Amino acid sequence: MLRNRLIFSLIYSDGFFMQSRNFRLQRVGDINWLEKNYRFHEIAFSLDELIILNASRTGKDITEFSKIVSRLACKVFLPITAGGGIRQIGDAEQLFNSGADKLSLNTVLYSDPVLVDSIAKKYGQQSIVAIVDYKIEGDTPVVYIDNGTQKLNITLLEYIKNIENMGAGEVVLNSIDKDGTGFGYDLDIIERYKSHINVPLVVSGGAGNEHHLAVGLNVNGVSAVSTANLFNFIGNGLPNARSYLIKNGFNLADWRK
Amino acid sequence: MKLAIVDYGMGNLHSLVGALDYVSNIDVLVSSNIKDLRQADKLILPGVGHFLSAMACIKDLGLDAVLKELVIEEKTPILGICLGMQLLTDSSDEGGYSDGLGFINGRATRFNSNELPVPHVGYNQVNAAVNSRLYDGFGPSPDFYFTHSHQLQSDCSIGQSTCHYGNDFIASFEYENIAGVQFHPELSQTNGLKLLKNFVELF
Repeated sequence: MLRNRLIFSLIYSDGFFMQSRNFRLQRVGDINWLEKNYRFHEIAFSLDELIILNASRTGKDITEFSKIVSRLACKVFLPITAGGGIRQIGDAEQLFNSGADKLSLNTVLYSDPVLVDSIAKKYGQQSIVAIVDYKIEGDTPVVYIDNGTQKLNITLLEYIKNIENMGAGEVVLNSIDKDGTGFGYDLDIIERYKSHINVPLVVSGGAGNEHHLAVGLNVNGVSAVSTANLFNFIGNGLPNARSYLIKNGFNLADWRK
Repeated sequence: MKLAIVDYGMGNLHSLVGALDYVSNIDVLVSSNIKDLRQADKLILPGVGHFLSAMACIKDLGLDAVLKELVIEEKTPILGICLGMQLLTDSSDEGGYSDGLGFINGRATRFNSNELPVPHVGYNQVNAAVNSRLYDGFGPSPDFYFTHSHQLQSDCSIGQSTCHYGNDFIASFEYENIAGVQFHPELSQTNGLKLLKNFVELF
């Protein structure tokens, strides 16, 4: 049986890992902090996947970011998605050569469909993870790109269709309103849009504890739940969340201890 | 002992090298140099991307002939991973029909996306064949990480183990010195590490 996935997302900016709240970033610690306080290389054995995002607002240096990816990718044996600031095929290549297995794309999904197409052709559709950031305005989800700063004049539904046609292999629905709040996922939007998504769906934004992860996994049609909450899952937070979910019969993979 | 990962310019090989270093003392070399490949005791054919373009790269580098010589004539053990596994078989319809290396009976076709999300992404349980060397020491249905849009079927008995996604498809095969896995052992946590160790030690 195909398993659901528990994904941890690390948000990186200019030398530091960040806690994001509604896309406002707060510095938490550098890579040494992550390795020491999160015992990163140990807890990686309790995750199904890792996403590393460069959220720098001051120009995203792919070479510097690739070094971080490369250091995190060493001695962990799980799929790594990396992205943020990919603007040309050379950026994609550099991240793959640094240990990324998939790329997360956001702004270029709108601004450069040709690039998305060439990445899909060269590396395959399964290598493209489309991150869809949205905010609720009125009662409608509005798509944002460019670190949540640029609003798009297109419905979420049309946008999802476009990016699937372009070759997205997975879609991450990320609620900017819920981001970093720890209030739980945006279940309303997930329920309304899941049946319109024909590739694996990852939900993101709002998970503050293992119960929220459980609620997300319980939604039929959700392939993976993601959390980027550095504060709420510190120490053994993630390994404990995984054991809790497996103990409670959730459909997560199990591997040799 | 030397193991060569056949490099034909596709995808991330870091995790694979890292995983092999983690589980064994075998000398690992990433190369497309024919001389290097001839000196290897074991081969791994990795692969991410399109079947058609991968076959084109392999032919451009002259690797099809040397792989045939090493794998078919000299019986050097080889493990194909993901696209690399499919390349060992007869054909695929990815990017238009393309012949594969043809070492193993099998053909890859796209999953039916009317019923299920495609690509097939995530850990899935493998129904491990009895007496398998790859799964030596495993329980009956271990989890491995898959990410692919094309699935392999075969008309022959090639020591296949299966996985289910909409239908049963070949998750791995092992026939004499030739083995292939559709999933990524290097991204499958401790299960994948153990499987790679089995390939290094038992083939």
